[in-house]
Amino acid sequence: MTTYTERAKGSPAADFFSEHAQVLSIAFFFLACVLFFSATTDTFMTLGNILNVIRQAAPILIVAVAMTFVIITGGIDLSVGSQVALVNAVAAIILAMGYPWPLVVLVMLAFGALVGFLHGWFTAYQGIPAFIVTLAGLSILRGFALYLTQGYSIPIKDAPGFFALGRGALFGVPVPALIAVAAAVIGYVVIKSTKYGRQVVAVGSNMEAARRVGMPAKWIIASVYLISGLACALAGLLIAARLGSGSSNAAVGFELQVIAAVVLGGTSLMGGRGTILGTVLGTLTIAVIGNGLILMHISPFFTQIVTGAIILIAIWLNTRIFTANFRFGAGRNR
Amino acid sequence: MVVDRQNIEAVTGVGGASPSRAGVAPRVSLKGIRKTFGSHQALRGVDLDIFPGECLGLVGDNAAGKSTLTKIISGTYIPDDGTITVEGQAVRFSGPADARNLNIEMVFQDLSLCDHIDVVGNLFLGREISKGPFLDTGTMLAEARKMLDALEIRIPRLTARVEKLSGGQRQAIAIARAASFNPKVLIMDEPTSALAVAEVEAVLALINRVKAKGVSVILITHRLQDLFRVCDRIAVMYEGTKVAERDIGKTDLEDLVRLIVGEGAKQ
Repeated sequence: MTTYTERAKGSPAADFFSEHAQVLSIAFFFLACVLFFSATTDTFMTLGNILNVIRQAAPILIVAVAMTFVIITGGIDLSVGSQVALVNAVAAIILAMGYPWPLVVLVMLAFGALVGFLHGWFTAYQGIPAFIVTLAGLSILRGFALYLTQGYSIPIKDAPGFFALGRGALFGVPVPALIAVAAAVIGYVVIKSTKYGRQVVAVGSNMEAARRVGMPAKWIIASVYLISGLACALAGLLIAARLGSGSSNAAVGFELQVIAAVVLGGTSLMGGRGTILGTVLGTLTIAVIGNGLILMHISPFFTQIVTGAIILIAIWLNTRIFTANFRFGAGRNR
Repeated sequence: MVVDRQNIEAVTGVGGASPSRAGVAPRVSLKGIRKTFGSHQALRGVDLDIFPGECLGLVGDNAAGKSTLTKIISGTYIPDDGTITVEGQAVRFSGPADARNLNIEMVFQDLSLCDHIDVVGNLFLGREISKGPFLDTGTMLAEARKMLDALEIRIPRLTARVEKLSGGQRQAIAIARAASFNPKVLIMDEPTSALAVAEVEAVLALINRVKAKGVSVILITHRLQDLFRVCDRIAVMYEGTKVAERDIGKTDLEDLVRLIVGEGAKQ
């Protein structure tokens, strides 16, 4: 008689590994960097240095969390650096006019959201590729910042409450880092366990399917750019508060750092797949590499080369080795 | 091309005795539906009635307009001309959400699943159960298990992403999604193309079961033998028009094949 048996369930460990391969690989990479710099420099593993690293990484992390949303929908926002610079400059100009800083913070956040929404409107409702829309934004917004400031740096005076945003500390942790952690936690929860997060993933995974089940696909696309604009405004304010001035030359190359951090964290540029945890690790990896190389007294110009090479190697490892088909002990027989 | 010389007789839906159902109001009634994509006339004036508790088989050659017609009923495409009446009310869908609100569900040929979302998430796509702003994952998981068990679909791990599943399992999920939320009209575009023997049987049994509950089913399939097991009526499409309608008892495989390839028209 023929006997029918059920196939055994896959081991939970293997399922866990294959589903989180990207995050695990960047976590491994991050730890390797930390161990390497701890071993090669005396100062890396000191509290002061670590606080400094996270204070500097805060603006990147905030924008990277928002960028994760954008990239999960299959889009991209190249204009983040220019948005940060514009908010940075305009905030300084308005503060110099003597308006109270809490008002300026709120107005700038609203302004950032509006600029982001304009990008989203062109992308989602007018069907122009996000790459083009935000590339134009990159040029236009930086141009506005330069025009308004005439290229000068604008000092911010007598706003101690505002400076506390960038320089202060709560329980020994820098305020920008606390804000960044809060942003990351919110981003994590929203993507993982809210209806909106599910809609963002669905639109990135299969936009037509999302539309067919009645999701407001266009609005969701537009909204992620709005979030990006909001995050850029926050980052711009934190940078202005830390430096005590606003400049149109702030955050040059910022968009590349942010996108590198997100991609390093395993978020797919094709959309649908991405995690906030990966983005946090990606951001910290880039920050640690930049900081560690300086502490090793390697030329700051060399940092860029190393950062770029490490991104390439990490992504290469991600795509070639830590793929969904990877298995312990069976990785070699292809 | 045939498209250029429109056959008036075909447009008005003649060609074979149109089966009458006196006394029963159609659940969905299409009149003079036209749809053009660029210069391609996908539908050239189609009339079709679907009654409660019946299964209508929609057959035709490739590119005959079957999928386009069903996508119009499900609100995915907006017709250029013609009227849609649902339960006596004239409706104008502005998108798929409108049709879904009227309990018109569709299994799409491309399945319309989100590969990066797990099985549970796909079953509840667009209908997520939430507690406040948060997804109620526990309830959805339990409900999803019940939904799949009811359809005898076996998927071991419901938290697996859909991209990891086989073609048949994916198709089963798409069917479960459409069939599980009390549809009044269930449209299935090639639902069994990737299914194994037992699963095809399960789908055919499902169609008979939902029919008994009064659901109107529209089935598109190239497996003509399946039509004779579940359908009450068959509509044949040819080059964007409905060329014939047959009661299942008054036709056979040969007759259908002849209507599909359009031998009648060529003579």
